[in-house]
Amino acid sequence: MSGVTLSNVIKRYGQVQVIHGIDLEIADGEFCVFVGPSGCGKSTLLRMVAGLEETTAGRMSIGARDVTHEDPAERGVAMVFQTYALYPHMTVAENMGFGLRMNGHPKAEIREKVAEASRILKLDDYLKRKPAALSGGQRQRVAIGRAIVRGPEVFLFDEPLSNLDAELRVEMRVEIARLHKEIGATMIYVTHDQVEAMTLADKIVVLRAGRIEQVGAPLDLYRDPDNRFVAGFIGSPAMNFLEGTVRNGAVEVPALGRAVPVPVRLPPEGTTVILGLRPEHLGLVEGDESFTVELTEALGGVSYAYLVAGNGERIIVEERGDQRSRPGRRVGITFEPERAMLFDAQTELRLR
Amino acid sequence: MFPTPIEKRSPAGRAAYQALLPVALILWLLPLIAVAVFSIRPDADFSNANYWGWPSSFEGVSNYSKVFLESDMPRYLLNSVLITAPTVLGAVALSAMTGFALGIYRFRSNLWIFFMFVAGNFVPFQILMVPVRDLTLDMGLYNTKTGLVLFHIAFQTGFCTLFMRNFIRALPFELIEAARVEGIAEWRIFWYVVLPLMKPALAALAVLVFTFIWNDYFWAVVLTQGVESQPVTAGITSFNAQYRAAYHLMSAGSIVAALPPVAMFFAMQRHFIAGLTLGAVK
Repeated sequence: MSGVTLSNVIKRYGQVQVIHGIDLEIADGEFCVFVGPSGCGKSTLLRMVAGLEETTAGRMSIGARDVTHEDPAERGVAMVFQTYALYPHMTVAENMGFGLRMNGHPKAEIREKVAEASRILKLDDYLKRKPAALSGGQRQRVAIGRAIVRGPEVFLFDEPLSNLDAELRVEMRVEIARLHKEIGATMIYVTHDQVEAMTLADKIVVLRAGRIEQVGAPLDLYRDPDNRFVAGFIGSPAMNFLEGTVRNGAVEVPALGRAVPVPVRLPPEGTTVILGLRPEHLGLVEGDESFTVELTEALGGVSYAYLVAGNGERIIVEERGDQRSRPGRRVGITFEPERAMLFDAQTELRLR
Repeated sequence: MFPTPIEKRSPAGRAAYQALLPVALILWLLPLIAVAVFSIRPDADFSNANYWGWPSSFEGVSNYSKVFLESDMPRYLLNSVLITAPTVLGAVALSAMTGFALGIYRFRSNLWIFFMFVAGNFVPFQILMVPVRDLTLDMGLYNTKTGLVLFHIAFQTGFCTLFMRNFIRALPFELIEAARVEGIAEWRIFWYVVLPLMKPALAALAVLVFTFIWNDYFWAVVLTQGVESQPVTAGITSFNAQYRAAYHLMSAGSIVAALPPVAMFFAMQRHFIAGLTLGAVK
């Protein structure tokens, strides 16, 4: 009833087109994350949904209503900004109740709704404080509270956790997930952090240069990316890519010094392809000297070995257990060929 | 560090500094000191050409009471208040609005309109003397406080708009966007969100404009004449009668006229300095 539908949505600034015809369906109650590198248009798209940026062409609807040319106020959305955008001269309670007060809601109702939001967000002790006296996490909770109070159909989050330190970010991430479960409203969330995307989303929209690269559930994107960009963007550390050529029904990979029998329909003999291997699917072996260990990063549970091949290509391998390879050592890698992905070198599309 | 702190200079340099500083200070303050001393001299000192010598008697009390009780000074002071207060209010209120419009809205001619406000400040006001006088005459506002106030507001709004617009530009734009998403009407955003955040700018600007207008002499002389409309800066000259000039009273009057802006400066020093540096250092 209050999903969001975008059909062929385009944004132009003067002559420059930044959003190139986006089609997207977000179901009612869904948590949808826009993710992509900076400059990909994810924030612009969110601001278009909010009505803060005009939609140049296309159609946008929330529920059954066409909101393409409506003012932000009429869209029934609430937005949480990266910089919190709290009114510095108002207390927490005033901040949360401001929108309702300005739109003529009775005082008792405002008090009730603010109390409810502050209960959900555990802000009861801070209601009388000004934003300046709050920590970053508390400020962002107030900003979320301000959104909740209005009971919007759609919540919009514009990189809400980017200004927080790492620890708080994890905490707030969990809190936002809990909030979504409790309220059940449609949420659109913009981030460049793929961990946030993976953990929060029902549906991830990967954007690049104003176009959708792929839409899907987090694990589907991880397991089954459509193209090299998505494969490289989802997953941390990023997927390794090695160049190869199709020869005799297998992929010959110079960096590995051998042919890999990838179980997909291979393109014609001689085609250049790209082999994609996730660090977590690789293992190190002795006796093969194709790679040199350049550096290792030990994170405790796992460590990452940065390898460089004879032809200069670099890959990252995840190591588990107590075994750590030392820089300078010569190693080979092992993996199950079924885990490898193949991409067309020209179009960068996945070959399946 | 540059310049070298005086404590670190050679002893001779320090001695020279200590000797010259008071001299420079006295030179700098000489006109003020002269006015202050004139204001307590008796009338006779001026007819006897005793300008710089020791006063023959100290007539401070009688001079100042004459200024307040036997001259039109109180009336002039009142005029000054009635001219300055509405001007400050009007210029600050207008420029808060123009500043909001130019700072927040992106419309086609935004920058050009802003440049016009700014460019107005560069027009030497002397060349406006005749046309403005004619205009006020035509409007029937010549020699009225209203005329002077209207002209001051118009002329001050240029500078004030520059000041306000830059201040509003420096506010986080997300605040306005957040309010818009919340469905708050634009004028309410101005009144409830932007205006409270502009308090330091409003205070600084009010102090600045107050001193500008209170100390204005040029337009007071050009647009008004006579005790019913002239502010105190112009009114002081009324101590110069046709046949004799009452320098002692004029000096006392000048001191009285100078007190409000000086008091204002000391009371609002913080805002005044903020006003001069606001926007400059961001």
